[in-house]
Amino acid sequence: MRTLVSRALATLMFTSPVWLVVQPFAAQQPAAPARTKAAPKKPAAVVSKAMTTANGEWPSYTGDTRGSRYAPFDQINAENFSKLEVAWRFKTDALGPRPEFKLEGTPLMVGGVIYATAGTRRAVVALDAATGELLWVHSENEGERGAASVRSLSGRGLSYWTDGKSTRILYVTPGYKLVALDARTGSRILSFGDSGEVDLKLNNDQTISPDLITGEIGFQGAPVIGRDVVIIGAAFREGGAPKSFKNNKGYIRGYNVRTGKRLWIFHTIPVKGEPGYDTWLKNSADDAGNTGMWTQLTVDEALGLVYLPVESPTGDYYGGHRHGNNLYGESIVCLDLNTGARKWYFQMVHHPIWDFDLSAAPILADINVDGKAVKSVAVPTKQGFLYVFDRVTGKPVWPIEEKPVEQGDAPGEWYSPTQPFPTKPAQYSRNGVTLDDILDFTPALKEAGVAIASRFKLGPIFTPPAVSKPGGPLATLANGPTNGGTNWPGGSYDPETHMLYVGASNYSPAILGLTPPREGQSDMMMVQGMAPQPAGSPGGRGITVQGLPLFKPPYGTITAFNLDKGEIVWQIPHGDTPDAIRNHEALKGLTIPRTGQPGTAGTLVTKTLVIAGDLQVTTVPPRARGAMLRAYDKATGKEVGGVLMPAPQSGSPMTYMLGGRQYIVVAVSGGAYSGEYIAYRVPAPSTR
Amino acid sequence: MSGISARVARGCVVTFAIVLPALAYTGEGQARSAPTSTVRARTTWDSVYSPDQAARGETTYAKTCSRCHAASMSGKDEAPGLTGAAFMGAWNGLSLFELHDRVRTTMPTDTPGTYSRQDIADVLAYMLKFNQFPAGQGDLLSTDEELKGITFLSAKP
Repeated sequence: MRTLVSRALATLMFTSPVWLVVQPFAAQQPAAPARTKAAPKKPAAVVSKAMTTANGEWPSYTGDTRGSRYAPFDQINAENFSKLEVAWRFKTDALGPRPEFKLEGTPLMVGGVIYATAGTRRAVVALDAATGELLWVHSENEGERGAASVRSLSGRGLSYWTDGKSTRILYVTPGYKLVALDARTGSRILSFGDSGEVDLKLNNDQTISPDLITGEIGFQGAPVIGRDVVIIGAAFREGGAPKSFKNNKGYIRGYNVRTGKRLWIFHTIPVKGEPGYDTWLKNSADDAGNTGMWTQLTVDEALGLVYLPVESPTGDYYGGHRHGNNLYGESIVCLDLNTGARKWYFQMVHHPIWDFDLSAAPILADINVDGKAVKSVAVPTKQGFLYVFDRVTGKPVWPIEEKPVEQGDAPGEWYSPTQPFPTKPAQYSRNGVTLDDILDFTPALKEAGVAIASRFKLGPIFTPPAVSKPGGPLATLANGPTNGGTNWPGGSYDPETHMLYVGASNYSPAILGLTPPREGQSDMMMVQGMAPQPAGSPGGRGITVQGLPLFKPPYGTITAFNLDKGEIVWQIPHGDTPDAIRNHEALKGLTIPRTGQPGTAGTLVTKTLVIAGDLQVTTVPPRARGAMLRAYDKATGKEVGGVLMPAPQSGSPMTYMLGGRQYIVVAVSGGAYSGEYIAYRVPAPSTR
Repeated sequence: MSGISARVARGCVVTFAIVLPALAYTGEGQARSAPTSTVRARTTWDSVYSPDQAARGETTYAKTCSRCHAASMSGKDEAPGLTGAAFMGAWNGLSLFELHDRVRTTMPTDTPGTYSRQDIADVLAYMLKFNQFPAGQGDLLSTDEELKGITFLSAKP
C-alpha cells in the first residue's frame, strides 16, 4: 500500500523533471497527439490508433496486435546490413536496486519516441528515438509485494493507446498492477482505475491466496489493446513440483482502457455450470489452478476477436489430482473482444502432463489455400507443431487427427487415450527422443551418449513422464516439454508473401521423472524428481557427454513456412557453434557444420530480410567475442549480413523509420553483460 | 596452442603462453605475493580450487542458490542455468573475477551484497566442480587479484 507521501515522492522523483525534458523535444518533433489535432475534420467520435507498422512506427509489442513482427521497410538490406552502426545505446542498470541481466523487452516507437520497460523494478522509459536520450522515467517501488513477484524483472514490454486526445502507456508491474501513464509525461492517468492503477489481484472472481502481498499471480508480458479493451494475462511460478495441487487460477480479463473498469473475465478453468467444467472429473476444477496466459495474446481488431494461448494446469508433469481433459489447459481460445464470450477453442494437449504451455503469440495470417481465402491463425508451439486454424470458425485449415498415444503407469494418474496430431505443416523441431537423436560426431561419443540415454525412457511425443527408479528408467527424456520448440519470442509473419518464420530449440532436454514428494515438499501424490542415483551416474554439466550436448545438432533453427501450402520452405541452424563445442578436444580435426544455438531466437521480418540475434556469446576468430545480429534473405534463408553485438539477443528485435532512416532496436544481456537496448542504423552517406 | 603444461604446486604462479597472444609469458616460479602487474595466465583447467572448498560451496549452494538455480544447476523461472553450453559461452574467455563480481553485486536478488566474498568463492568452486573442471590442492581465494588471474575457459586448452 502506497501512502500519499510515497506517492508524492514518486511523483516528485520520477515525473516532475519530465516536462522540463520533454518540452523542447516535443517542440522539435511533434508527437502523435499534436499531429492528430492538426488533422482537419476528425469526427468528434475519436477513434483509437490503428496498430500498424505501415507508417514507420512500431506501436504494439509485435508491431501490430496480430503477432506479425513485420515492417515493410527496405532501407536496411542485404547490401548494408553488415555495415550497420550503433545509433544509440540505453543501459538499464540504474532503473532498479541492482542491474538486470535478463532484459527481454521489445520497445515500441510512436511519434519519434521509444517506450520500453527496463530494469529490475520494471521501470517505464521514454527515449528520443533518434538519439536514445531519456525523456522520462516512471517507476513503482512496490516494496514487499514487488519482491514477492512471481514474474519479476523488466518484463517483455508495454502497450500504447491513443484516441487522438489522450495518449497512454499501459503496463503491468511486477506486483501485478495495471498502471496507465500519460505517454507525454510519464505521469499516472489519475482518472484511470484508482489514481492510475488497477490492482489485478482484486476483482478476479477468486480470492488470491494467501494475501495481496505474496499471493501467487503475476504477469511479465505486454498488455494487448484492441479497440478500447486492454487484455491482461496471468502467470505463476513454474510448477514441476508445486507445493499443492490447489492454486490460484489464471483467469483472463479485459479492461476499459479509458477508465480501468473491468469489462469481462474469462474463466480459463470453468466454474460450475459453465461448459468444460465436466472435463475436470470429481469437481477437480474447484481446486486446480494455474491455466493462465503468460505469453503474448493476439487480437483481430477488425473481427473483434481475441486469441488466447493458455498454459498448463497445476502440476506440469502430473495430473493425478485433476483427472479428465482439463479445459482450457494448453488450448487456444477465441473470445469476443468486447464481451469475453467464448467463440471457439481447440485443445492441443488433452490432460496436460508435459508442460506444453502455449508459449508464443498466435499469428494472424490471411492466406489462400487451394484458391480460397482463409483468415487463419497459426500457433507455434513448444512441441514443434505449427497448428493452423480458420480463425473465424476454429476449424483446422489442414486436418488435425486424434491418434492413440502411450498410456503411462504413474500411481493415481489419468491418461488421455488420444492426442491431436496436425497433418500439415510438418513438425519443425525435435520433440520425442529416440537413439537416432543421440550425438554421433564420433562412434565413441555416440556410444557414450547411448549409454546415458539408455538409463532413460525414450519415445515419441506424448510419451508419458516415467516413474523414476534407481535402476532405470530415471525419467522420460524428451526435448519439447518446458523449453523446447518455440517459446515466448514467437515468430514473424509476412503479410505480402504469406511466409511465416519461427525460431525453435532442438536442444532443451526435458527430464520427465516422477517421484513421491519429500516430507513437507508438497501435498501432491507425485512431483517432478529423480530417484536417488548410485555413484557414477551421469551428472555434472547436466545430461551431456563430456560436456557436449546429448542430442545431435542443429541445436537451434529458424524455419520458414509457406502458409498458403502449409509447407516448410527452408530451415537453417541459427547462431554460431558454441565455443564449448567448437573447441572441444574430442572434436579436434572434425569439420562440424554450424550447429546453431539452443533457444528460441525472436525474429523480425522486413521487406527483404529475416533478422534475429544469436542467443549466446561466442568467440569465432577473426571476429571479437560477442553475439551476432544476423540478416537472412527471407526468400531463401541465405545469410546475407551480420553485426557484432556485445551480448546475446535477449528480447526480440523491432524496427522503425525516423527522419528518413531505418532503425533496428534489440535488447541484449546475459553473462557478465547487463541489460541494454541497442539501436542500429545505416551509416550516413558520404558527402564527398 | 601449446603452452608449458606444468602442474605447479600451490603457492606459485602458473604461467602459460596460451591462446591469447596479448598475455606474455613472464617466467616461472614467481612468488604468490608478486606485484599485481604480474600476468597470471591460469585458467579454470589449472586445478584452482580444492575438493573441500567445493564441498563447502555445495552446502552453501543447496542452502541459498538452488531454490532458484536448481540442484541440477539447470536454472528455472528467471534464474539462468549455471551449466551447459549457454553458461559456458557466456563466461568463456572472461575471468573468474567477473563471475564472482556478478554474483556479489546481484545475488541474492532480494538482498544483493549480503554474501561474503569467501562464500561466493566457495560456491564458484562448487560450480567449477559441477562443470567438471579439475580440483587441486588449495582453495580458490576471494581476492580480486586471484580471481582476475584465472580465465574461465569452456574447453580444455
